[in-house]
Formats: sequence, C-alpha cells, structure tokens
Amino acid sequence: MKVDVEGTLKRIESYKGVIGTIVVNAEGIPIRSTLDNSTTVQYAGLLRHLAAMARSSVRDIDPQNDLTVLRIHSKKYEIMVAPENNYLLIVIQNPCE
Amino acid sequence: EDMLDEVVQKVITDRDTLTLLDLSLTHGVSEEAEDSNAVQNVLYAELCRNRTNNDKYVDGATQTLNGMPKVKKIQTNKNIVVDEGATATNWDLHDSYCEQKKTPEAHEADIQDLTASTGKGQDRTAESISGDTGNSVMTALVFSGLIITVTATRPDLEDVLMSDSFKSSLLVMERAVATNVLLAELAAYKNLPVDEDEEHLSTPTMKHLWVFVCDLTKGYKATSMAWSKKNSNILAVGYIAHDSKNPNPGLICCWSLKNPKWPERVYSCHSDVMSLDFSANNPSQLAVGMKDGSISIYSVNTEGETAEGSRKHLHPVMQVTWTKHQLKLSEKERQDVLVSVSIDGRITKWFLGGSGLDCIDLMKLKKIYDAKKKAAGGKKVEGNVLVPAIPALCFDFHPTEYGIYLVGTYDGLIHECSVSNNEQFLNTYKHHIGPVNHVEWSPFSPDVFLSCSSDWSMHLWQRGVSAPTMSFRSAYSEVHIAQWSSNSPALFAAIYKQWVEVWDLNSNIMFPTIVHHAAADVELTSLLFARDSDSVLVGDTEGQVTVYKLPNLRVGRTKKVKSLCNKNTCKHTDAEPQNKSIYVFFFIIFSWCVSFCTNSHSVLSGWLCRDPSNTLK
Repeated sequence: MKVDVEGTLKRIESYKGVIGTIVVNAEGIPIRSTLDNSTTVQYAGLLRHLAAMARSSVRDIDPQNDLTVLRIHSKKYEIMVAPENNYLLIVIQNPCE
Repeated sequence: EDMLDEVVQKVITDRDTLTLLDLSLTHGVSEEAEDSNAVQNVLYAELCRNRTNNDKYVDGATQTLNGMPKVKKIQTNKNIVVDEGATATNWDLHDSYCEQKKTPEAHEADIQDLTASTGKGQDRTAESISGDTGNSVMTALVFSGLIITVTATRPDLEDVLMSDSFKSSLLVMERAVATNVLLAELAAYKNLPVDEDEEHLSTPTMKHLWVFVCDLTKGYKATSMAWSKKNSNILAVGYIAHDSKNPNPGLICCWSLKNPKWPERVYSCHSDVMSLDFSANNPSQLAVGMKDGSISIYSVNTEGETAEGSRKHLHPVMQVTWTKHQLKLSEKERQDVLVSVSIDGRITKWFLGGSGLDCIDLMKLKKIYDAKKKAAGGKKVEGNVLVPAIPALCFDFHPTEYGIYLVGTYDGLIHECSVSNNEQFLNTYKHHIGPVNHVEWSPFSPDVFLSCSSDWSMHLWQRGVSAPTMSFRSAYSEVHIAQWSSNSPALFAAIYKQWVEVWDLNSNIMFPTIVHHAAADVELTSLLFARDSDSVLVGDTEGQVTVYKLPNLRVGRTKKVKSLCNKNTCKHTDAEPQNKSIYVFFFIIFSWCVSFCTNSHSVLSGWLCRDPSNTLK
C-alpha cells in the first residue's frame, strides 16, 4: 500500500484542532516539527521517557505485545505519541475546538 | 665503549641441591610403627622423672628481646568503583532469547541494514545503538565491534520518514486524529449514549453526521456502495467519472469509518463502475461490475491491486452479488458464488476458470409472448427465430432459500427464477409500467419483497401473489433505489433524483416518514443502509457519500410487514368483516372521521383505500 508520507503528514496537520506534529529521532533530537523550537524540545525530552516507560510496561506483561499509540488526554488537549525503535511521532490535538 | 655495546650472553642455570644438614630421627624408631607414640610417651615420661632430681639438668631462664616497632606507610592507587545496574525486564529476556535464536546470517543482515541505512556512501560510519530503551545483553555483545560515530541529521530524517514502521504509525495516528474530530458523530452512529438532550421534533428528520469525500473523488459521482461482510467498518464505493475524457473513468475507494478524509484503498478502473459487492467467504475479495460489461475481482488486503479480468457481457453489468451456493452441505461450507445481471438480458454465474474468470448463463431473459397471440399468429417462437433479449436491470437472491432469485426487467416485469431451471420462470409479477430499477427481498419477513421503478411507484409484493400487496407513490419522479433497512422490519428508504424518502410502515403507509432534500445541483445516486446502526448512506453526483442518522422511529412497536400484508390481502382473518359491501362503506365514513384525530388509524384507512382496488380485480 503506497502511503504518501508527506501527504499524510500534511493531512494530519490540517485536521480540525491539531496544534502541531513533531518527529523525533532516536537520540531525542527533533527532526521535523511544526511548533517553535523551545516547545518542541520540551515535548521531545519529556515524552521520550514516558513513552519508553509505557512501552516497557506493555511489553513486560506480554513480551510479544508492543505499544502502538500512547494517548494522553488532558483537560486542554490530547497528546498522541507513537513510539518506535528509531523515532517518535508526536501529535498534539485540541479536539473540542 | 664498544665493549659496552657488545651483547654479552649470560646463562643462568640451576645448581644441584647441596645438603647442608640432615637431621634424621634420633631414636631410630620409625614413625610407621603402631605403638611408636606410646613408646615415645613412655620414654618421655621416664626422662621427665630422671630430670627432677638429677644434677645434670639445671633450670635456666631466657628472655627474648622485642625490637622496637616501626610504622611504615605505603600508598596505592584508588580502586575505581563503578556502579552498574541493569533491569532484566520480561521483554528484555524475550528479546535476547529471540536474538539468540536468529542465525548468524540474520545478524549480519541486521548489521548491514543498520550501516547501510545511515551514512549513504560513507564507509566507516555506523549509528550508535541507543540504550535508552535498555540494551539487551546479546545485542551489546554483537555490536561492540562496531565503530560508533554520530551521523549527520539530514540522512536521519529521510530514513525515518521512509521507513515502513513510520508509515504504519502515521496511519494509526491519522485515524486517531480523525476519530477525535468526529467523536460525537461516531458515537451517534454507533448508538452510544451521548450527552445531548434529544429534541423531540414533531417531524422526524435525518441528522447529517459526516461525509466521505476527498480530492480524489472530485469530478466523479458515486454509483454503488457495499459494506465489507467481515469488517463492518469498511465500505467500498464505486464511482463514475463525469467527463469521459478522464483517463480513469471508474474509481473504487475503500473507506474506513475511522477516517472519512482519505480512503484506505484507491483503485482506478478502465471503465465506469456500476456495481460492487464484497464476498462473504473471502472477505477481502471485491467483485466489480462495469459499464463495458466486464467484471473484475479485486483483492483488497494485499499491497498491490490484483484484478482479474473476465469474458465480457455485451452490455453494461447492472448488478453483481455474491450468493451462497445451493448445493452444499452445511452453512459453513457454503461457498460464495458470483452472479451478475446485465442489460443484455443474461444472468450469469462466474467462477474462476483456468485463465481468469469464466461464466455460465443462469438465465436469459426473453420476451414472453401471450398464448393468445401465439395461437392467432400461428408462428412458433422456438427454433431459428431470434428472440430479442430484454435488459435486466436488477436482481436479488432470496435470503434463506438459496437458488431462488428475482429479476427486475426493463419492461416492468419481475420474474422469479430458480438457479436450477434456466428455461422458465417460476413466476412473473406484473404491475409496473416502467423499468423496474430495484428489487429486494425483505430481510425480516419471509417471502416479501419490495420493488421500485421509473414509473414513480414502489410496490410491496408477497411471493406467490400476483398483485402487489401495497403500493407507495408519493412523488412524480423516478425511483432509483428502494432498500430495506437491516435493523427494522418495516423501514425502507427510497432514492429519487433530488431527495431521499424514508418510509416507516408502522406509522404511516401513505406518506413517507422522512423526506430529505439534497442540495441544489446535486442529484442523489446511491443508497445503502448501515448494518449495525440506524444510519443511512447516500451517494451523490458530487462524489460525496453522506452519512445520515435516522431517528428512532417507534422501535417498540415493530410489527412484521407480513402482519400488515395479512390485513391487505384478499384472505381475510376473523378480525375483519366478512360482509364487505355494507361494512366497507361504514368503515370508510368512520375512519375518515377518526383519522383526523389520531395517526394510528391511517393504517386502517390505507388498507381500506387499497381494498376497493382489490375487489375490482
């Protein structure tokens, strides 16, 4: 299935209420972001560890399972993190706009 | 000085051992004698006795001098202590075990993949394996030999973006974002309780939920829709391009409920798509009937599109459906059979032959000549005379009796046929004046079916009864499609060019319960009921498929349509008056008076309006 990566990313960014998307590499350095630098670095740093812990918990229970998306729904908005071995995809959305 | 530089060889050897003192045992008693200890003790005791009074032995004292202690300090290098901790988590053990199981070639391949993916063209670069998720023991050993340098971030971005797992993460993320946006609508679709106060409007209306549309469908009109039989979230929609110069005249999009902005799969066809259906046995197979008469089967689950062409019908294929084969043993074993109907009047069954799809004709529709006309004319219709074929526009298989199906034709006849008999019709239902556009068996009431036609009317029939049990006519426009709801037994919807009508036979059989108009300039072209929800999907000429939610139309009082039919057929039950003439007149007056007050009597008045026409026949 040919997924157009750029097109899909642009589409995600154009959905109603999406505040920003960040792609972080394995070392925690943001490689693509639609937010300003300081916010990006903050999000990247904080969410990396959280996602790793979540992944560790999921896999501890059943090692053949794996974490696909971690969604943190807070009062103001929702942060969705998709962790993988060599990157981290973060989308922040405000669904009630 | 030269002598100093000479290399002189010195040889160090070991001398033989020189014995300086050898004290052997004085007593000459061997130690191995058994009583040697006892003997020695006796001798010693004797010696001690001799000593006490003997002058030979004198007591003397000595003192050893202890030297002064001296404190000597030394100093060594500090032992460097490093604290190292490791958590052996469950998954870490699992990963190590899996790594160990892999062959060395697989390891090599892994290493090569990693080195190739970074630093394109550079020889001695490798990406450091990050340890933030915890190194497993095996991988630490394997990669210890690699040169670790940090690569530039530019190739990093591309590699991450192009990797497969990123694409799948993107998909999941897109669906999550889309469902977030549509949360309320999706909850309404799935009948989940939403906190809204329900407005009880006097006239029930369809509530617009969302639209399946994207850039790809601009310039197309949606003609047919089908739900996947296995996964009720997947919807396939077939499109026809508006202008014939479009290189892709036909388009098929598979939409998921989770993402109404972009289809999951897009296939382009060489011809206009007239009809689609998913197979139940192989849920990933989608059969498509097209305007040029060919049929393709698409396999939806693989990466590429696999279409299999076929021997063609001569004329556009109007409808395809997968139906169960009659002659199998148990329900589970029944294989699906693809049957299609087309304007050339043939109903054909398709199967996978040696080279692509092949077909067998189940039935050919020919003009029925009246018996009288035949006798008068004196001509025989069989033999060499070419009989014109009648275009068949729609068909439907019986839901429980496999092998019986109805065909709607261009000249207004509906034929009931059987798979096993391809010469004659079992029954013919004749009442429509115009081409019959759609027939459908009721999924709830056995042997009841609905037909709609371009003569502005819809009829409800009972199998075996040659006159329609009920007729519905509400507007002066062709009815394109009339479909039963899959949830309520007495609910059906009909599509006219500019609006959708929803009829609820429990409440009103004279007028539709809901009428929904399309936007100006837009014509509605297709209709589909949702299977597990009270919603209806409507496709239009803009290429949009809109999802509407139907309000709960008196769910508590659902009667089967058959019971309504029973009131209307000529076979009266005990509840109805036997003596028609007087009582009918009486009841007409009475019901007209009462019908102004309550709505429930409209059922009765509807029956009574039908009754005179029945008696006339």
